Amino acid sequence: MSEEQRAGIPFTGVDEDAEPTRISTGTSSADRILGGGFPAHSINIIMGEPGTGKTLFAQQLVFHNAGDDRPILYVTTLSEPLGKVVKYLQKFEFFDESRMGTAVIYEEAGTELAEKGIGALVPMVTEWIGRLSPKIIVIDSFKALHDISPSMAEMRRVVHDLAGLLTAYDTTAFLVGEYAGDQMATHPEFVVADGIVELLRHETGMRDDRFFRVRKLRGSSYREGLHALRLTAGGVKIFRRLVSPEKPRGYAIVRERVSTGVGGLDEMLGGGLWRGSTTLLGGPTGAGKTTVALQFTLDGVRRGEPGLYVHLEENPTQLSFLVEGFGMDPESPGLHLLYHSPVELQIDSLVDEIFGLIRERGVKRIVIDAVGDLVTAVRDPQRLHDYLYALSQHFAVNGVTAIVTFETARPGITGGYSIDAPFSHLSDNIILLEAGIAGDRTHRKLRVIKTRGSAHDPTVREVEITSEGIGIL
Amino acid sequence: MTDSPGSPEGRATIVVVERDPHVRVLETLFLTEAGYAVEFADDGAAALEKARQLRPDLLITEIMVPKLDGLALCRLLKEDPATRGIMVLIFSILTASARARDAGADAFLRKPLAEQKLLDTVEQLLARRRDTSGGESA
Repeated sequence: MSEEQRAGIPFTGVDEDAEPTRISTGTSSADRILGGGFPAHSINIIMGEPGTGKTLFAQQLVFHNAGDDRPILYVTTLSEPLGKVVKYLQKFEFFDESRMGTAVIYEEAGTELAEKGIGALVPMVTEWIGRLSPKIIVIDSFKALHDISPSMAEMRRVVHDLAGLLTAYDTTAFLVGEYAGDQMATHPEFVVADGIVELLRHETGMRDDRFFRVRKLRGSSYREGLHALRLTAGGVKIFRRLVSPEKPRGYAIVRERVSTGVGGLDEMLGGGLWRGSTTLLGGPTGAGKTTVALQFTLDGVRRGEPGLYVHLEENPTQLSFLVEGFGMDPESPGLHLLYHSPVELQIDSLVDEIFGLIRERGVKRIVIDAVGDLVTAVRDPQRLHDYLYALSQHFAVNGVTAIVTFETARPGITGGYSIDAPFSHLSDNIILLEAGIAGDRTHRKLRVIKTRGSAHDPTVREVEITSEGIGIL
Repeated sequence: MTDSPGSPEGRATIVVVERDPHVRVLETLFLTEAGYAVEFADDGAAALEKARQLRPDLLITEIMVPKLDGLALCRLLKEDPATRGIMVLIFSILTASARARDAGADAFLRKPLAEQKLLDTVEQLLARRRDTSGGESA
């Protein structure tokens, strides 16, 4: 029909969803990992072994999306009875009893499916759609339906039929199941799934580490890898895996020196540390690493640069005494002392907390004391390497000057320079301290091993600790 | 469901051209629940024949249907003075609102089936048909 013929004839309709709307998981980190959430009108699998938090993740998503429009349908099958699911659910903060039966509707399908067989599934879902018009459908556990299927071929037919129905209708589906990784290749639901997320649990020493991972997300970018996960009273909490910042190194680097707060050290460094640089401060126990790092932090606070001291070894009381020893109130504005026990340390949540403080408090100086505790908290050396690299890049881009302490084995700098800290080649500067006993005195020495983009004094210098702190002689 | 033309119950008649069994089931559910008389056709040629015979108030068609595609079907209906008054809604998986408009369709909706959108569009088209034809059959 020509434009002339069409003129004046009303027409309604546009091509929608160039960019699909997203279904939020109810946790902002997971949404960001998924590129904004699950794409609407998709079929997704939430997989993981028993006890990993799948049902909790699904329930949190359900209550987060429960509104006054179309309801959400949660179907339980042959795993946990409905009563048990709801009883457990009430313990969590996101649970809203007033939504039950209206915005969130629970159906128990196990009994009918056990009687009639797996072939009854699609007619049941069709009936629910016709009766309830659900915007989200969750089937938990979908994997348990394999138990009532006479064969994988029959299950494949049912899954294909179900996918056809869920594709025809404007809804977003989540199939929850206790799948193991190798079942992705054998179970037909993985073929029709647009998105697959996995919840995992690994034993690390005496504790369990939990993770969240996106295995597939059709038509959407997502952040790969293992992201730390915690189960809390508020529900599932996820920490995005740290990756390098998008801005390249060198972007907006300020050519400005930052004082170390240690008398004589700025001169050895050619005028101080570059703003945004990361310095590795190594040495054996008792050499004065914490003292130097604390002086650097407190010097910044006195100059109006908020400082964050992350201590993983020194307990909070001890550190507060040290701060008071330098004549500063540990509660001073601009000074933030963050303690984490190295026993329960989870690097992802620590990093999340650090970046939160940098954003919210405008932190300009940071100390991590000591990086060795991060080494013991991460099982995979490559992962630690990636973390430390990304961490230093983030500090650089944000103009945060960092000192990271690392404990070295004796004899230290005068016995021949050797440092195998995983951070050494990633840091801009390396400073080593040494302590030795001669007669009735402890002698401390300091040497600047490397400074990036600056000349430095390479000689070994004596240092002295007084009531004023540590200083170069 | 063959109450047409001039359904004795006064119900509007809709011919639906759709091969996807799930879409057919859902359209039956929602359109009959809303009080419309629904007739199905498996392909474009059968739909053309049915439209000429039944003179429905509205024809809803997918583009990708056998024998005669939904856009060609729409053009044939709009070119024939006897069927020009039948409202045509292109309801497709394809991103084709411009092509639907060019084919002379009265409205376009993209799948998946969202019942409120579908029912609102159907109601608007039927109201427009009542306004333009005084409720007479095409």
